Amino acid sequence: MSRLLFIALPLLVLASIPLYLLVLKSPPPMPKLDLEEWWGPPELKQKQDTSIKPFEITFSETMVKELKERIKKRRPFAPPLEGVGFKYGFNSKQLDSWLKYWAEEYPFAERQKFLNQYPHFKTNIQGLNIHFMRITPKVPKDVEIVPLLLLHGWPGSVREFYEAIPHLTAVSKDRNFALEIIAPSLPGYGFSDAAVRPGLAAAEVAVIFKNLMARLGYKQYYVQGGDWGALIGSAMATFFPKEIIGFHSNMALTLSPAATFLEFVGALFPSLIVEPELANRLYPLSEKYSTLLEELGYMHIQATKPDTVGIGLTDSPAGLLAYILEKFSTWTNPDFRSKEDGGLSYRWTKDQLIDNLMLYWSTKSIVTSMRLYAESFSSRHFDLKLDEIQVQVPTWVLQAKYELAYQPPCILKLKYPKLVNASVIEDGGHFLSFELPEIFAKDVLKAIGEFRKLKNVKTEL
Amino acid sequence: MSRFTTVLAVAAIAVAFWYIFNWLQPPKPPQLDPNAWWGPIELKGREDISIRPFEIKFEKKVIDDLKYRLKNHRPFAPPLEGVTFEYGFNTAALEPWLKYWAEEYKFADREKFFNQFPHFKTSIKGLDIHFIRVKPQVSAGVQTLPLLLLHGWPGSVREFYEAIPLLTSQNSGYDFAFEVIVPSLPGYGFSDAAVRPGLSLPYVADIFRILMKRLGHDKFYIQGGDWGAAIASAMVTLFPEDVLGHHSNSAVTQHPHALLRTLLGALIPSLIVEDHLAERMYPLSKHLAYLLEEFGYFHLQATKPDTVGVSLTDSPSGLLAYILEKFAVWTRKEHKFKSDGGLGFRFSKEKLIDNLMVYWITNSITSSMRFYSENMSNKFREMNLEAFTSPVPTWALQARDELVYQPPAVLRAKYPNLLNVTVLDDGGHFLALELPEVFAEDVFKAVHAFKKWRSTHSKTDH
Repeated sequence: MSRLLFIALPLLVLASIPLYLLVLKSPPPMPKLDLEEWWGPPELKQKQDTSIKPFEITFSETMVKELKERIKKRRPFAPPLEGVGFKYGFNSKQLDSWLKYWAEEYPFAERQKFLNQYPHFKTNIQGLNIHFMRITPKVPKDVEIVPLLLLHGWPGSVREFYEAIPHLTAVSKDRNFALEIIAPSLPGYGFSDAAVRPGLAAAEVAVIFKNLMARLGYKQYYVQGGDWGALIGSAMATFFPKEIIGFHSNMALTLSPAATFLEFVGALFPSLIVEPELANRLYPLSEKYSTLLEELGYMHIQATKPDTVGIGLTDSPAGLLAYILEKFSTWTNPDFRSKEDGGLSYRWTKDQLIDNLMLYWSTKSIVTSMRLYAESFSSRHFDLKLDEIQVQVPTWVLQAKYELAYQPPCILKLKYPKLVNASVIEDGGHFLSFELPEIFAKDVLKAIGEFRKLKNVKTEL
Repeated sequence: MSRFTTVLAVAAIAVAFWYIFNWLQPPKPPQLDPNAWWGPIELKGREDISIRPFEIKFEKKVIDDLKYRLKNHRPFAPPLEGVTFEYGFNTAALEPWLKYWAEEYKFADREKFFNQFPHFKTSIKGLDIHFIRVKPQVSAGVQTLPLLLLHGWPGSVREFYEAIPLLTSQNSGYDFAFEVIVPSLPGYGFSDAAVRPGLSLPYVADIFRILMKRLGHDKFYIQGGDWGAAIASAMVTLFPEDVLGHHSNSAVTQHPHALLRTLLGALIPSLIVEDHLAERMYPLSKHLAYLLEEFGYFHLQATKPDTVGVSLTDSPSGLLAYILEKFAVWTRKEHKFKSDGGLGFRFSKEKLIDNLMVYWITNSITSSMRFYSENMSNKFREMNLEAFTSPVPTWALQARDELVYQPPAVLRAKYPNLLNVTVLDDGGHFLALELPEVFAEDVFKAVHAFKKWRSTHSKTDH
């Protein structure tokens, strides 16, 4: 009898862990959101301008001249160690060709025109002038226009969507709808104002974008996001299931205790958690964690000392280029760390990547962009325990081969019980819309088609 | 809190079993590659091993360029409302520093100041190693003892300038004074940087051992802080027969028994640490949270030093903020909550800019940060240096606001001949620079104890 107890007792204790995490644990309460929280200077509160103003991106002559001078006057950079490729970070041997191009060949006037090919606007939400692009397709009578909010991340920008937008907004005989795109710059990024006081984390950005879409007259809409856009989109879907009728993410991740528990279970019994051909995207866990440790230094410093590291990045275009392009290298394919050129020409032209840099440089927004990490990794934001609150909105995930982290559907369903589909592709990395715009757009359209079938709802404009 | 303690208890028991298992099988001694060469291959066999005098020069071209950059920096993002140094260096506090550096810092005077001590260079393992060497001016009957002083990051030889006169002069109560040898670490300041990967702690230890021998010191004393303490630790582990005594102001060990004892102390602190000092290491959650908050730079430099190094090479404002943030928050923990980072507390602007100049004019910030990557590499960690004890007599000086505190019970896991610890109710990470008198006095005290210990232990104990 006692022997039975000796075996049964620890088993019972062990079994109680999943029972608690997966079944008994009650979700945290929905956070109380202040939908009118003010992020701008207090003086402006009484005279808020709620109009929607057209906006044009300008690369002023002074800015361009100064940029070129700074690039030309750069200090000599430490030569890389022998044979290391990009393993110690951006290989300085590559800097000269990039900087020379930026200063001498990048056609500023042309690119300014390129960036203005879509209509841009600004409107003041909760004290911040929020920049966004709005692209409305021309449609025949029987095609419904359906709004899609596209959310970028770090170190990206609205530029990531430029190649995908024509595909997203295309009218096709295969579907009875066409997408109207609303693509804002996150607060503190690009042409959107930054908060003047602490507290603007992912949850608060979700509120800002909810208010933005309300300002633009949308009662119901879809949301797509990657990187911070995925986290913000997820927060929006968590808080506002009435307004968000479908959520598409290309970086789906949930970090709840239950999710971690299942990951550990799968370390012992992978077949319980993940399909065999996808197991290597998650296992062995030791490899996954050592890769994350290797790659998350930037996140660690930005979550704790953004203002420190941001000063050099504000002041030096070479510094900004190295810091940002390192991500476009490593996050597209981790094997690029062994390449001397970081594989940067694999999918993008120099113009494309420098366009994105210009949105950080010309707006001086690198520091404010990095503060989002400090805000969202604060104990206040963590205590909201957003990962443990389920999303009651139909969700669709697109999972690229080289995305930074992978979770199979059974884990994602902990957070997204209405997971409609997980598109797994054998190509692509973190900046998916930028890297594979057609595949990206196709998947988003497919998702929305399915969302519409599920709800069969007419979106009111 | 109690749930955490329970988890900690379970973890401690698991860890205990693991380390007891390891303890029963002592690790193999680490082997250094005798053919390690850190400079260009062409120089092998042709290096200049003479000891050449060296002078620090602040060249006009460099100064003019520096001033231009400082004066023409881009406008910085204003700090968030009500925030001091919690998000890092507050840009509102930046301008006075940049103005000082560009308009008031007396470059010619400071160059002279730097050269008040004799500087030299000599080539070791392919790298020109820079060092200061000061022989004491003492009367007959006062013994001269060789002392190797090792700086860390983001410091330099500048950290020792106020202590050097104290160490190299007669100190009443002692019948000895020091000949100090103060090198720039490889990749820092005026020492060359390695051209290939692999220059980790043990190899730097080897370079400094060779340096001391070349200067005629077969056996010597070592003092170190920050990376200097880690290098000293490597030296006393690998070459115990060469080191007469080891003084550290950043004593920290990750010996398996040390970790075990630390975890045990989380449950029963009185077993490990004196009551009034327990708060310097417990609760573990608080201190781990503090380290997590402060070690972003470490994480980044241990993985992508070349990336972040570009902006710091190019922008003196960037370099100043990045480095001075450490002098702010590592001197006193509460300085994080001061609008100026408490930088004026013990350091003059001149002192701190001196240190920055060492990084700026040598363009060494990137190579200095690579040391973190080398010391976090698999190759280095496999050597498992921490698992070895060292018989060398050791003395720890422990400032109140140093980043990590370990009591004697923990330090003894690695240093069984820990003779004493001096616990201060003051001071921070950059102790030699901040409290040079306290620092120097403690070094004298320690070496006196080392000598006494040596006379009663004729052979090095194991």
